[in-house]
Amino acid sequence: MKAIAATAILALAIALPLFAQQGQRYQTAVPPVRFAPVHIIIDPAGKPLAAYQFELKATAGQVKIVGVEGGQHAAFRSRPPYYDPQALANDRIILAAYSTNKDLPTQAARIATIHLQITGTIQPEFELHLTVASDIDGEPIDAAITLQKGEPK
Amino acid sequence: MKTLRTVRITAGLTASLTVLILALWSCSKTASVSDPTDYQTAAKPPSEGRVQYEMEMQTQVTPYGTDRTFPYSEHSNTYPPLSIDGKRGCVLKADHYTLKTDGDGRVPLLGDIPMLGSIYGDRAGTGAAPGQLPADLAYVHADEVWVIARPEVAPSAPDEDRPGCGAMLVRRPDEEKELPLPLKHTEVNGSIAGYIATVHVTQQFHNPYDEKIEAVYVFPLPQNAAVNDFLMTIGDRTIRGIIRERKEAEQIYQQARSQGHVASLLTQERPNIFTQKVANIEPGKQIDVDIQYFNTLAYVDGWYEFVFPMVVGPRFNPPGSIDGVGAVAHGKAGISGQKTEVQYLRPGTRSGHDIALSVQIDAGVEIEQIECTSHAIRKQQADRETMTVSIAPLDNIPNKDFVLRYKVAGDRVKSALMTHRDKNGGYFTLMLYPPESLRQVKRAPMEMIFVLDCSGSMNGAPIAKAKDAIRRALRKLEPGDSFQVIRFSNNASQLGTKPLEVTEDNIRKALAYVDSLEGSGGTMMIEGIKAALDFPHDPRRFRLVSFMTDGFIGNEAQILAAVQEKLGESRIFSFGVGSSVNRFLLDRMAKLGKGAVAYIGLNDDSATAVDRFYERISHPVMTDIDIRFGAMAVADMYPSKVPDLFVGRPIILTGRFQGDAPTQITVTGRVGGQMHDITIPVDPGRPSAMHEGIAAVWARKKIEVLAMQQMYDSDSEIPEIITQTALSYNLMSAYTAFVAVDSSRVTEGDHGVTVAVPVPVPDGVRYDTTVQD
Repeated sequence: MKAIAATAILALAIALPLFAQQGQRYQTAVPPVRFAPVHIIIDPAGKPLAAYQFELKATAGQVKIVGVEGGQHAAFRSRPPYYDPQALANDRIILAAYSTNKDLPTQAARIATIHLQITGTIQPEFELHLTVASDIDGEPIDAAITLQKGEPK
Repeated sequence: MKTLRTVRITAGLTASLTVLILALWSCSKTASVSDPTDYQTAAKPPSEGRVQYEMEMQTQVTPYGTDRTFPYSEHSNTYPPLSIDGKRGCVLKADHYTLKTDGDGRVPLLGDIPMLGSIYGDRAGTGAAPGQLPADLAYVHADEVWVIARPEVAPSAPDEDRPGCGAMLVRRPDEEKELPLPLKHTEVNGSIAGYIATVHVTQQFHNPYDEKIEAVYVFPLPQNAAVNDFLMTIGDRTIRGIIRERKEAEQIYQQARSQGHVASLLTQERPNIFTQKVANIEPGKQIDVDIQYFNTLAYVDGWYEFVFPMVVGPRFNPPGSIDGVGAVAHGKAGISGQKTEVQYLRPGTRSGHDIALSVQIDAGVEIEQIECTSHAIRKQQADRETMTVSIAPLDNIPNKDFVLRYKVAGDRVKSALMTHRDKNGGYFTLMLYPPESLRQVKRAPMEMIFVLDCSGSMNGAPIAKAKDAIRRALRKLEPGDSFQVIRFSNNASQLGTKPLEVTEDNIRKALAYVDSLEGSGGTMMIEGIKAALDFPHDPRRFRLVSFMTDGFIGNEAQILAAVQEKLGESRIFSFGVGSSVNRFLLDRMAKLGKGAVAYIGLNDDSATAVDRFYERISHPVMTDIDIRFGAMAVADMYPSKVPDLFVGRPIILTGRFQGDAPTQITVTGRVGGQMHDITIPVDPGRPSAMHEGIAAVWARKKIEVLAMQQMYDSDSEIPEIITQTALSYNLMSAYTAFVAVDSSRVTEGDHGVTVAVPVPVPDGVRYDTTVQD
């Protein structure tokens, strides 16, 4: 009887960690590849924003750019921004757009969304640089640019 | 495994076809540009439902003056061929035709139509009483009547959820409901400035099913299209696609598809064949894909030519090949064993996919004439130099190339330089016209080798056109010339073993031989190439090899490599014959063969094409051409060696430059042993001398030249150079692809069912001899 009990305990001792490991692996499994957007926001500080150019670069994580979309504001919604193909790399993109709309954003507005493929478990980090922002006359605007990481819905 | 299968066509195209007879326009005639439309015969544009008849499928068409009778439904055997849709009708031209029944003799169908004569036929249904001309046709002085099949019930107003007239429906095996196919509509908007066209193609995909689908569509674009932009629109959101190396783009697409993201992928199978995939289209939703390209127009014998292909012709692939383009029946995916497959609609079916096309021409000078032999068109002219041309709404089935030609003012179009500058430097295109002095010099004796494609795809109207062309060409040969006629399908054979002198007897024998040729079997074009280019050559004569083919083959690379290898002293001057010719193949053969190509559509006049051809070859070429660009420092010019210049055929050169655009270009060349100079004045400041698409045109030309080189040069760096060029200029190529993913949303469920978009066989091509079923 003791021998049976000892055998059972030994079997459990071996099996439990395996089950635990299995469960842990199941719970923490992360798809090796996923897709998520990054939203770009420019705050033109009260001045009408008619044109912009910025550069986005991933500083951490493994990302590929898989699409470029316009923003929420009507001035930059219908036509997605153009990218510079010669500056395009897996983790870097230069985007530019202009609008001839009469109604231009004067407050912080989402002006573009960049669609990304993210590989691995490292959360991507980005460096964002606003090259130029200008009004309808081409005069530079002292604007601020930020990004917001999104998740698929 | 979930599959979709075709169950039947709508009532519109069932066995008892209703036939609508419309007195229509003659698009084949050159019209005055002041005409508001091309409806030259009707008092008002025709509309569906004006005149309606029922006609049995056994109704026969008998060309006037012959005893040959064909079922009108076998359109490829009618003459002239159908110009509307396979199995849907036929075109009756200029008092040469009658319709009659099989059985009880002729029954007057329409009575006498002015200029058309009497039309008889089986009149099983409604319509005019025998011999009585319907009121709608009473005042029609048509030289062409189109007989078009239509549903018994007049089509109702377009409904978003229903297919159009005669649309094919598909049904899931476990469901009763029948639904249309996912590609609803293609919208083409082009604008032409100078000799460069900018074209937007919008494909509207719709999911009529109750679960998600992936749509796959194989479609053509011009062989010199520089595709450089790609947009995917979902509702009111538009995502610009990104150019990537092809394998990388395919991986991204597959991963996005498997994770439920809406995604699209555009790949290039041939320079003129592309595949569009759209994943995770949700039930009831529409996704639009917008493709932009630039291309240079051909200038042929005094006419600019804008071509938009609408359907990929069914290709023949030699046994053992796997890298070809298979032609299979709808629902028979995989049976061809080829890497790329096009699924074709069975006879009597339609997909419901239609097309609208509009092109704006800004010629910069007065437009004198415009013609379209492929489609009925409408024209709107803003002023003498600009015009908008669109396809007439009734002619909206995408089963043939749209070919628009226009002639501008002036006895001779001048050579023209166009430039573009951006942060990468300067780019130019130069359209170089041959000097008028070439017309004054007589040609040397010729050795003419005609090579006729007698394969199954040529059966019917295409081979009839090609034979007409050869007959005409034979009669134009001159004493001192020699000739030979070679045919090929599964193998090659010929009229004789050596070139024949031009004598009355030999021409008569050749005409009889041509008359005896019919279309059947495969397209072993390599046999035709070998037979023609290995044929004994008389060095005293200038040797021309003229292929007459639709080019429906999938092994283009093998053919072009053989041309490169065997060309020798020959020059290749070919005719592409049919409604949807493989222009990539024919154009490349002409370039490699240091010659030219002309196209004969099913509604074109063979005699005119042949006469123009002989005008071209009846004068010597300008060779050893050297161009001096003045202060403009030119680099990376394509083609790097300037080709020879023929009468009526300009060449387009494109390159990069530094420095200022010149005010004058000097061209030097040899004509008949004499050196000639041409001076081309340039006004670089003119707005029409600039075009933003020139950088893309240059990069596309570089890729084309490298791809040609790849066929005979095993340099392993060529794919990498092509890839880097395409990535740098945002261009489609064999090694790059556009991919777009909507990462912001995951659709429910798995990736759904894949639905291939079947296409009709091209107008005039027989399904039964070309498609694996």
